[in-house]
Amino acid sequence: MTGTTQTAAPAPRRRYDAEKLFNRVALGVLVAFALLWLVPLLFATAISIRPADEIAVDPTSWFSSNPTLAAYEDLFDKGKLPYWYANSFIVSLLTTVLTVGTASLAAFGLSQVRFRLRRVAFLLLLAGIMVPMQVLMIPQFLALQEVGLLNTYWGVVLPQVPNVVAVFVFKQFFDGIPRELVEAARADGAGWLRTYWQIVMPVARPAVSAVTIFVFVQVWNNFLWPLLVVTDPEMMTLPVGLNSVQDAFGIPYAQLMASAVLGAVPLLVVFSLFQRRIVEGIAGTGLK
Amino acid sequence: MASTLGTGAVTPDRRAAGAVRGRLTGPALIAPFALFYIVFLVGPLIYTFVAGFFNGSLLRDGFGSWVGLTNYADVLGDAEFWRTLKHTLWFTVLTTVPLVLLALLLAILADRFVRGRWFFRFAFFAPYVIPSASVSLIFMWGVLADQVGLAQDWLKALGVDSPPSWLGDPSWAMWSMAGVTVWWTVGFNFVLYLAGLQEIPRDVHEAAAIDGAGPWQRIRHVVVPMLGRTTTLVTVLQIVASLKVFDQIYMMTGGGPDGSTRPTLQYIVDTGFTDGRTGYASVVSLFLFLVILLISLVWFFLVRRAEKES
Amino acid sequence: MLRRLTSPGRAAPGPAPGTAPGAPGDPAAPSRRALLRGGAGLAAGAAATAALSGCGSTIAQGFTGGEPPADRLNFWNPFTGGDGARMVAMQQEYEKAHPENSLRATTFVWGNPYYTKLSLATVGDRPPHVAVAHLSKLPVLARAGLLTELPGDALAGQGMTPEKFDAKPWRKSHVDDRLYGVPLDTHPFVLYFRTDIAEQAGLLDGGELAGIDGPDEFAAALRAAKEVTGAFGGSVASIKDSATQFRLFLSFYTQLGGRPLVADAGATVTVDLDAAEEALAYIRRLGEEKLIPTGADGQAAITMLTTGQAGFLMDGVWQIVAVLDSKVEFDMRPLPRIFSDAPYACFADSHALVLPRQPKRDDARVDLSLEFAASLLDSSRLWAEGGHIPAWLPTQRSAAYRELTPQSHYTEAAEGAAYDPVAWYGGAGSNLQINVGDAVTAALTGRSSPRAAAERVRSELRTLADVESPI
Repeated sequence: MTGTTQTAAPAPRRRYDAEKLFNRVALGVLVAFALLWLVPLLFATAISIRPADEIAVDPTSWFSSNPTLAAYEDLFDKGKLPYWYANSFIVSLLTTVLTVGTASLAAFGLSQVRFRLRRVAFLLLLAGIMVPMQVLMIPQFLALQEVGLLNTYWGVVLPQVPNVVAVFVFKQFFDGIPRELVEAARADGAGWLRTYWQIVMPVARPAVSAVTIFVFVQVWNNFLWPLLVVTDPEMMTLPVGLNSVQDAFGIPYAQLMASAVLGAVPLLVVFSLFQRRIVEGIAGTGLK
Repeated sequence: MASTLGTGAVTPDRRAAGAVRGRLTGPALIAPFALFYIVFLVGPLIYTFVAGFFNGSLLRDGFGSWVGLTNYADVLGDAEFWRTLKHTLWFTVLTTVPLVLLALLLAILADRFVRGRWFFRFAFFAPYVIPSASVSLIFMWGVLADQVGLAQDWLKALGVDSPPSWLGDPSWAMWSMAGVTVWWTVGFNFVLYLAGLQEIPRDVHEAAAIDGAGPWQRIRHVVVPMLGRTTTLVTVLQIVASLKVFDQIYMMTGGGPDGSTRPTLQYIVDTGFTDGRTGYASVVSLFLFLVILLISLVWFFLVRRAEKES
Repeated sequence: MLRRLTSPGRAAPGPAPGTAPGAPGDPAAPSRRALLRGGAGLAAGAAATAALSGCGSTIAQGFTGGEPPADRLNFWNPFTGGDGARMVAMQQEYEKAHPENSLRATTFVWGNPYYTKLSLATVGDRPPHVAVAHLSKLPVLARAGLLTELPGDALAGQGMTPEKFDAKPWRKSHVDDRLYGVPLDTHPFVLYFRTDIAEQAGLLDGGELAGIDGPDEFAAALRAAKEVTGAFGGSVASIKDSATQFRLFLSFYTQLGGRPLVADAGATVTVDLDAAEEALAYIRRLGEEKLIPTGADGQAAITMLTTGQAGFLMDGVWQIVAVLDSKVEFDMRPLPRIFSDAPYACFADSHALVLPRQPKRDDARVDLSLEFAASLLDSSRLWAEGGHIPAWLPTQRSAAYRELTPQSHYTEAAEGAAYDPVAWYGGAGSNLQINVGDAVTAALTGRSSPRAAAERVRSELRTLADVESPI
């Protein structure tokens, strides 16, 4: 074309236009998907605050001339929701504490202490990543039945403690800690446990928070295991209770959506508050 | 072996005292975790293997009586087992492909915007932190319900006279399950990809831009290849997660309609806990475990080879 | 904590009646259990008492695995909707009469999830004290050792004597001549019809449906109704509802004189292939001639009747409340006699109150539970309003019940009650219902020919029967 005359200037110009156009399209695609992704949550919320008679007339309308929190009040008055919240919280917290404690200790041993068969021990643990907990439900259930721990928090918690990913994340982190730090502490006469607790763990905050988030979310949302272990309605975790226990008065649509919203709210709030940290934590545990 | 030699022989000078005490310290530090690991992982794994040779029942005390390879033969000849395995694999294909590609696309696009990225991150990742029970309630009664569901409503508005029963029609149910799952979990992969993108140095982009590559070419020839490691990881994690599908299917369709969505994990729960046939379900568990192991190993092997070739 | 340590656990004074032989066997078990439980409890003790003392005993129970207090009565049922509302009213009557006890009722999802939960809870030593079970399920639960045998004298002590119960459900509450349940009702699969539509279609004779017995006659009646509604003649649920499809099939199949689908507690398949094919062919005919919809779920099937898109509805009696709520003119009657090869039959089941096996035997608790059961029976009239035919004769024979319309219009259906065949994989919401029901749906929608569907019924049953019973 007119290649000889317009060489230098228009080429970047055209590229800049293409860049701008591309950005516009990209933004459009992203916004469209993001809105689509928000629809189910917003729809559930919108339905949950509509009065029953309005829903009966037009079940799919988003709007209400008379919004009400009746469905939520009903759930709290009649349901066992407070128990489920408490149970989920206790179970998640216990599992997280036990996992962070045992996994970091083990990772510390594997990373900082030299001993025979260390590599073998590490590989043996690592192999556990390959074993999905779900295929072990039957023996785990029978074992807990044998010792009478069904329908207790321990029954939900204990089998979820050996989390190999957690060990792995901690070990990765500990491997990166400068050797001098540990050696200096040892030279000062600190025992291994003191070194672990006073020197290494404070440095390992990012790993602790990553594992905490990752384990807490996983346990909070675990459905299948507590579904089998817990049958007492007052002992259920939130997901199991929401699924198993029905309202005797049938299926008021608003209440179903309200319970879905209430099930979603705790972690959504936590996520909104600590978005960046959670995302980094998840990415950190999933990646490396 | 190498490591024992390495610590013991090659560096004998390094804190000799510590090494001696370490002989017990190391195992002691690992012990608490190892205890849980052995009791709840290794033990059950062995038990699963052994229980397969017995006709154990949840409703009878004891181990059951020895039946040899009967359970193994029965599972291999059980049409329903193969059907649930087929569903599981089909679900894995239906979810892994969009969950990897969509997450990749969305992450690459979102990476271009600094402002507003939190919004996209929120929109895509928020569903991931919601318990499956909430997800199922929302979709079963709200979005995918017959007559009163949003999806049917929208289709009708678009002029489709009789939209399908998303969860009630055997030819649609599995697609619905896949769709819900994509909505629910794409955020996780999205976040992993965003993290992967952070690791690509800016000057790579700039170099490519100076070479005259447009945005699309840069994505195709520079960004995507550089995300290779992330893609491998995301794909493996996704495949394994999809092979373990249970929650949303159990809650929304119960494996139906006409058994068309029942995954193997549900078959384990149904045979093991609803019917109480623990011996049989142990064998099904073992097979599912082998399938998961095999698929992840094959995938790793393929990727390893591809990396070596390139 | 201490209480747990010394608690005898499952070491009941001898095997509880109804448990499988050897169930509480191993004498070492209780002490080991108590020890381990106590150990876990001690570990948690400090945390539990210090941090959570304000949060009630339930949370402490979660740590220690303790048992509920003695005046607590845990009651499980699978009732939602109209049934649920009525059951709540009946529970309130009980609570009014016995304010000293604390009744905790929980409603679970009907079908397999409910029974799985019930058996896992019993196996896990935390069963409810009283539970609702279908009589189609009762033999399975009893043989699995999950139920307590009900002592006749304790029953009589609460005024529940055999002659006060409808004979058929009473008999069905026994397994090997032992009583395991207090029957509450019989709930058949019946025919609802819009009186206004039937009138316009010229089907009414003195307010009653006339001439609808027989295959062609019933189809003709549906066609007449279809002409009035402009949509369908009748409706029946087929989407996401294999149980309803099973009920429809079993009704016609039994009318055709078909042998029980399975025998020997489920070990042998005795299905009559020809009868099954004929029943399925008729169901297909109704679908093919567009007399009934092939794509309606449970809710839609009812809505079709209440909005006048269908003049008939084939469904269980328990949907009566939903239809009543719509305030349309309707009546009910037993499912028509389509085939006359055998005595009249229609699918039916019964609810019974059962006492799941408790970790330790406690006569006071049994009395408390039976007292509750007796109280529910006394509220049978409330239950009958929800459509169920009361098994409690003082109510069934009362003038008040006979005046209840349309509830009293199908009482005779109970006599033709065709229960699910007895099999460990059978009963309400079971694998048998689901697998057979799915085959029926395939015939109704035309995905399978009646012959193929009948063969599928047989092969599904054979697959189930081939499995060694876990009981």
